Amino acid sequence: MAAELEVLAHAPTRAPNPHAPSRPSGCAVPSEEPLIGGGKTLTQVTRDVCAPLERRPTFAWWAALCAALAMLLFGVWAVGYQTATGIGTWGLNRTVGWGFDITNFVFWVGIGHAGTLISAVLLLFRQKWRTSINRSAEAMTIFAVLCAALFPVIHMGRPWLAFWVFPYPNARGSLWINWRSALLWDVFAISTYFTISLLFWYVGLIPDLATLRDRARGWRKKLFGWLSFGWDGSGRTWSRYEMACMLLASLATPLVVSVHSVVSTDFATSVVPGWHTTVLPPYFVIGAVFSGFAMVLTLMLIARRVMRFEDYITVRHIHAMCKVLVFTGSIVGLAYATELFTAWYSGNEYEMFAFENRLHGPMAWAYWIMVSCNVFVPQLLWLRRVRGSMVAIFVISLLVNVGMWFERFVIIVVSLQRDFLPSSWSSYCPTLVEFGAMVGAFGLFFTLFLLFCRFLPMISMFEVKTVLAPAHPKEHA
Amino acid sequence: METHDDNLLLPFEDTTSSRRSFLRTVGFGIASAAMAGCSRGPVRYVVPSLAPSPEILPGRAYWIATTCGACSAGCGVLAKCRDGRPIKLEGNRAHPASLGGLCAVGQASVLSLYDSMRLDGARRGGASASFEDCDRELTRIFAELERSGGRVRLLTGSVHSPSTRAAIARFVARFADGRHVSYDPLPASATLTAYELLFGRRLLPSPQFERARTILAFDADFLGTWISPVEFGAAYTRGRELAPGAKFRHIQLESRLSLTGSRADERVLLAPWETAPALAGLCAELERLAGLPSRLAQLGATPRSERIAALAHEVWASRGASLVLCGIDELESQLLCAYANELLGNHGATLDLARPSQRRLGDERALGELAAELDAGSVDALVIAGVNPAYDLGGRLALARAKHVIVASEALDETAVAAGWVCPAPHALEAWDDGEPREGLFVLTQPTVPALRSTRSLRASLARWSGDARSDRDLVRAHWRSEIFPRSGESDFDLFFERALQAGFVELEPRARRSLAFRPDALAQLAPRAQSPAPGALALVLYAKVGLLDGRHAHNPWLQELSDPVTKIAWDNYACLAPTTAATLGIGEGDVVRVHTEQGAIELPAHLQSGQHEGVVAVALGYGRVGTGRFARVGPHWLDAQPTVASDGVVGVHAGPLVVWGSAGRSFAGAPARLDRLARNVSLACTQDYHSLELPAALASHGHEVRDAVRSTSHAEHAADPHAVARSKHPVADQDLWPDDHRGERRWGMTIDLARCTGCSACVIACQAENNVPVVGKDEVLRHREMSWIRIDRYYQGEGEELRTLHQPMLCQHCAHAPCESVCPVLATVHSAEGLNQQIYNRCVGTRYCSNTCPYKVRRFNWFDYPHEDALANQALNPDVTVRSRGVMEKCSFCVQRIQEAKARASVEGRALADGDVQLACQQSCPANAIVFGDLENPSSRVSASASDPRAYTLLEELNVQPSIRYLAHVHSGRSTKKESGHGG
Repeated sequence: MAAELEVLAHAPTRAPNPHAPSRPSGCAVPSEEPLIGGGKTLTQVTRDVCAPLERRPTFAWWAALCAALAMLLFGVWAVGYQTATGIGTWGLNRTVGWGFDITNFVFWVGIGHAGTLISAVLLLFRQKWRTSINRSAEAMTIFAVLCAALFPVIHMGRPWLAFWVFPYPNARGSLWINWRSALLWDVFAISTYFTISLLFWYVGLIPDLATLRDRARGWRKKLFGWLSFGWDGSGRTWSRYEMACMLLASLATPLVVSVHSVVSTDFATSVVPGWHTTVLPPYFVIGAVFSGFAMVLTLMLIARRVMRFEDYITVRHIHAMCKVLVFTGSIVGLAYATELFTAWYSGNEYEMFAFENRLHGPMAWAYWIMVSCNVFVPQLLWLRRVRGSMVAIFVISLLVNVGMWFERFVIIVVSLQRDFLPSSWSSYCPTLVEFGAMVGAFGLFFTLFLLFCRFLPMISMFEVKTVLAPAHPKEHA
Repeated sequence: METHDDNLLLPFEDTTSSRRSFLRTVGFGIASAAMAGCSRGPVRYVVPSLAPSPEILPGRAYWIATTCGACSAGCGVLAKCRDGRPIKLEGNRAHPASLGGLCAVGQASVLSLYDSMRLDGARRGGASASFEDCDRELTRIFAELERSGGRVRLLTGSVHSPSTRAAIARFVARFADGRHVSYDPLPASATLTAYELLFGRRLLPSPQFERARTILAFDADFLGTWISPVEFGAAYTRGRELAPGAKFRHIQLESRLSLTGSRADERVLLAPWETAPALAGLCAELERLAGLPSRLAQLGATPRSERIAALAHEVWASRGASLVLCGIDELESQLLCAYANELLGNHGATLDLARPSQRRLGDERALGELAAELDAGSVDALVIAGVNPAYDLGGRLALARAKHVIVASEALDETAVAAGWVCPAPHALEAWDDGEPREGLFVLTQPTVPALRSTRSLRASLARWSGDARSDRDLVRAHWRSEIFPRSGESDFDLFFERALQAGFVELEPRARRSLAFRPDALAQLAPRAQSPAPGALALVLYAKVGLLDGRHAHNPWLQELSDPVTKIAWDNYACLAPTTAATLGIGEGDVVRVHTEQGAIELPAHLQSGQHEGVVAVALGYGRVGTGRFARVGPHWLDAQPTVASDGVVGVHAGPLVVWGSAGRSFAGAPARLDRLARNVSLACTQDYHSLELPAALASHGHEVRDAVRSTSHAEHAADPHAVARSKHPVADQDLWPDDHRGERRWGMTIDLARCTGCSACVIACQAENNVPVVGKDEVLRHREMSWIRIDRYYQGEGEELRTLHQPMLCQHCAHAPCESVCPVLATVHSAEGLNQQIYNRCVGTRYCSNTCPYKVRRFNWFDYPHEDALANQALNPDVTVRSRGVMEKCSFCVQRIQEAKARASVEGRALADGDVQLACQQSCPANAIVFGDLENPSSRVSASASDPRAYTLLEELNVQPSIRYLAHVHSGRSTKKESGHGG
């Protein structure tokens, strides 16, 4: 009973009466089915979520970590070699100045979006189903933004001077930065996004860190005590905590729109046909949500299986995300159609050619991979049979990730490849070193994610407890 | 104030000199000594052209007038020297032949001076030896041969240097059986012979292109490689411009697409075996028009007779102001060509017989006799100078059979490596020399740097072996005093010679000769020839390529990396095939083929060349030189880098062994050849992937099939509406979001006249030399990472005979609304108050965003640190221009260092900058004067006048980036292009 009391002490305000029947609300998820399966008690939730942290790591975890580290090492070699030798070790040329580097950058920024959307926007909209996945989605955001931030740095010819993009007082005369450059806006967008996401994630972790502290002994207790800032679970603490969360969520919400809009201006504000179009900001934002959700799905499907979280990340969660995927995928399809229409309707010969070149040019295969994976494949999720198969959903989520990667590739490389003067038309073929940097980014991401799974609660315990169905009312009687 | 300054400068006048002032003086002294020590001392007796005082100031450029030694054309150059060494060659505006232009080869020759593989000191039997020992031995040998009446042969290229010719004559005269044989690697011997037969004197007439209104050129690449392209290019352009309206017509009749053909108003495809019959047909038609009895009735049918007849009528209409040229060194064609010119009354009008060219003096018959003598083993001593017969002649001369072989060459080339003695020759920039490229025009070459290598000219060597120990300078001077000065009519030789040195040349009346009478008897001996090779066989055409020419410059990396003006391929030679022929044979671009002829076989990659005769396979000479293996590691070294040099260790394939040796000399065109496709493919380093302004048919939307980057129109259309060609398709509203309040007092701008530009690529190498543009190697070119700041875009329209070729020099357009400037996050590229788009290397972090947004794709990124280990080659770097490190962007700066220098000079002279004070490297080098640079804000500047030409347009105007470069549309006299460019609108 002591444990029970302790848990209750940690969630008083968020769920003043967790046992009352859930309020009818206008939210998308019907509330007939319980959000958490298995009739979990509050104690069980704590025990289940903390279990992976407190037992010895499994063989599967070690194997995955070794694989991720190997990928990371490959990336470290690639980036090290490229930094020591020159950007020439990539397949770029005088015509195509960006390839895998910025493709991966935009891809990873996009991946990050789902985390913010789930934790901030869905929090504001009081979508209760988010509670099981928001922690890992936020972690994913942070790791993805880290991976993303890597690329603008290493893509520079002289990455050791990357700090020049910051407006800091310097002794180099009146040297300053160029506020007109979209790349500079990126610097601010990404750094703001990273800061807010990290804060939001960490603040969200504090009550759970306190739970860990209470369960731990020795140095771990000290460490978690320090990390949880002496959380005492009092009503006043909870009230301030709630306020902080709400404020951070409100701060993060505009970022969901702004970050990828700013990233899109790298392209939209420039003169390159295929880039220079006003549809890009919303197009990029929705693409980011789409790809982010696909990545969350991929990770959650693995996590619930490997970490045995089927009761917490239930079919209902998966289905909710599938619906988001169908919805955003359709908007992405609309964006592609709009783009084609705009190009045709503009009557601008360069625009028209840029899109003809995407559709039928030498790299048309990339365009059609993009369209198939992003527009057609998610439509399969309309079918109940497909939604019933976790394997099918997993494959679809992977394909969406592939498709969204190719979307960025098509926008960047295929637009640059053939622009105004036919004499300068060229092509692009990545090198081993570029693959290395890309694989390394995935390695970094998975390494961080695996460490996160092992050392921090993957599921927000205190929030899940607020949505527990009154499965065992007797216990409290 | 002044006294104070004086005290500072003269501390020792102050008796109480402090420790501080003492240290200051010592420091200044050491620094000045170090500065002076770092500079090379001036060459004795050299008279700098523009700076009257011979003092060399560190960091200050001075100019020495001399003569380009890269080929026999003898163009006048001013060598720009810094700290006692030449760093750049510029054409000498005053020079009567080259008129200030300088070709790519000439521009590149400054780098050859600093070639670390040039020979240093004499060699005896394959090992180093001292000049003294060699001289002693050779003097003895020659003295013995003189006594015994041995057979002594002197083999050289065309020598038009009067002093060297005199030395040769003196030397040869010593021996009872002495003879001077000369040959040209790219011969014109048949022309000389034809004039000997028809006019009684062996001469090569000087064509006067500026007087010609109609030019019929049979395989004569006079803008690219034929005899004297700079002079011809300048005159041709002038002639084109002087001609009123559509009166100028240039028709090129050729079997492959040459640079000259690419500029022609009309092209006729003639196989090599058709050239002589076509010329015969032309002459026959001209005879008919002239009302003369036919002397050529025996020659039979004419190929393309209707077309040839039409051309005959056209050329007849401008008789006396026309030119018929033939670049095929074959007696029959040359006789007919000379006859055609005689019928047209061109001799004395457009073909100068009084001042014939001396750039080609070789005699193929004498060469053949020498070959026979060598085969018989009857030559006692063979002196070879200025040519590389072991390479040029594909090993046909049995050099080893001569008892003594003495070679004077710059490098240990194919000939020198097997010679008994090597007395290395100097580079033209470190030697005394003279020349007479055409009769009456005497040019002088003077050293611009103290000899970097221990060398000696042929003239001095011959004198030395005859016991005359005078220096080269004294020999040249003595000859001028005794032979040339008396013809000048001046009284003071020293003054005469001094002035000639300062100018670099002197022009005198040619020696009066009896006038030449036409003797047509030789024509009667012409016999009909077989019209075509065996069915199914191709005819092999061996041609010289712009840059590499006969291969003598194959060791020059700038020229190896120069993208060919026509094919746009660097670093290799290849077998050019018409696309239809290649399709029939199942050969694709880069497929390695074996070309068999009776002479042998070579293996090289195929290149599909538009505008080529279907029955021809064309291969460039000048490749496969020994010593080009040095380029194996020319580019950046990294894990995926591919070597520039093929597995056989040389760049390209030597096509010389396929030259046919006949009784009348070598034949470079027409040998029947068979092709076998091998199962290999070689990537050819082409700087351009797409060769047309027409978009791929599958991707073009209706009404937008053609891009209008290069505008051209016919004379007729242009006359009807002069503004039509430059009229904007999408006029841009002349308004900005905010007023341009940063307008400076001037805006630098440029015009490029596409009607003048011949695509010769002289500007490309001039820019490379001026701006320290690195060489990156074949692999990097293949990866489209060539670094040139100016390139020539080349586009084809149509195919076969109807092919039109458009050349467009492309460089940074210095846009007023530059897209690159707004995207740089760190402000590494900014706009100057004078309209320059500036790149600040040390601020650049290398995001390449600017390059992505550049609509003209003229920005070049330093993908690697390009090798600069060769300390000697680094001497050719321009000290005024930063050598860029890796990771930074670079591009054309409008030679900002020259602008700054001109401003500084004007300010020192206390005057305002005048129009024309700033000459950019590309502009200076252009033989055709296609580039004008200056201040667009100044309404009276030349560039403003040029920019207000109705033909002026800005490229991609609709983007409203407001470039500072205007292109002047090409106007040709071909048929109307309405059909082709109409749907571009």
